[in-house]
Amino acid sequence: MSGCDNAVDYVYQYIDDELTYTHKARIKWHLRRCGHCMSAFQFERSLKKKIAEGGRSEPPPELFDTLRALIQQERNKGDSDC
Amino acid sequence: MADQANFEQDAMQYAPQLYSAALRMTRNPADAEDVVQETFLKAYRAYDSFTEGTNLKAWLYRILTNTYINKYRKKQRRPSEVELGELQDLYLFKRLGEQSGAQVSAESQALDMFVDEDIIEAIESLPENFRLPVLYADVEGFSYKEIAEILDIPIGTVMSRLHRGRKGLQRKLWNLAVEHGLVEPRE
Repeated sequence: MSGCDNAVDYVYQYIDDELTYTHKARIKWHLRRCGHCMSAFQFERSLKKKIAEGGRSEPPPELFDTLRALIQQERNKGDSDC
Repeated sequence: MADQANFEQDAMQYAPQLYSAALRMTRNPADAEDVVQETFLKAYRAYDSFTEGTNLKAWLYRILTNTYINKYRKKQRRPSEVELGELQDLYLFKRLGEQSGAQVSAESQALDMFVDEDIIEAIESLPENFRLPVLYADVEGFSYKEIAEILDIPIGTVMSRLHRGRKGLQRKLWNLAVEHGLVEPRE
């Protein structure tokens, strides 16, 4: 059971790829032997992917034009200062 | 040092994702556009001080974050760590596992019941202290080190807020599933 607790404590660092190679290998060793932890880790990974895909919104179509105009205006201001 | 003349060519590609992040922060399209415009203006003015070849995306997110905080945080009360309350590890996985004798990987398939609007609502429900690390790690794919630099907090704080924030997001998703009658909560 302590192997499970140990693994679960690091589930986010594991799926975020923020562990050292050895630490990752130790957890992988546990996951190969523990179906429940393996499912839990796969679930967290799937959820992270789901959030990445669902968490973004499209910008309004005129955003690029607005930003370009803003920068152009700023550039002109700089030029006239010189 | 970066050349201001190249600013649009270098930075404009990040505009859509910066807008999306700003929308998750402000929860309002007009405010999000304001924040992005101010971010681009500040970034353009400061582009001389950006070191070419370093992380432009993280640099822009840092300006975005500071712009948002300066503009909007004043209005809010100071958020605290206790706002999310007590949270169990693997919150959603465990709740879904309690549903009708789940077989292996049934929990992952159960994620299909959530639509994009649920994900957005869950992210936006988080207190700002937790929302930004979750947004930056899960949606923007930044590393812990990058998030620490963007938010100007220690990496340990990034990890604890991300950990708690993700659990809070899972609880919100579960509550949404219950509200929509998609799952039967067990007493």
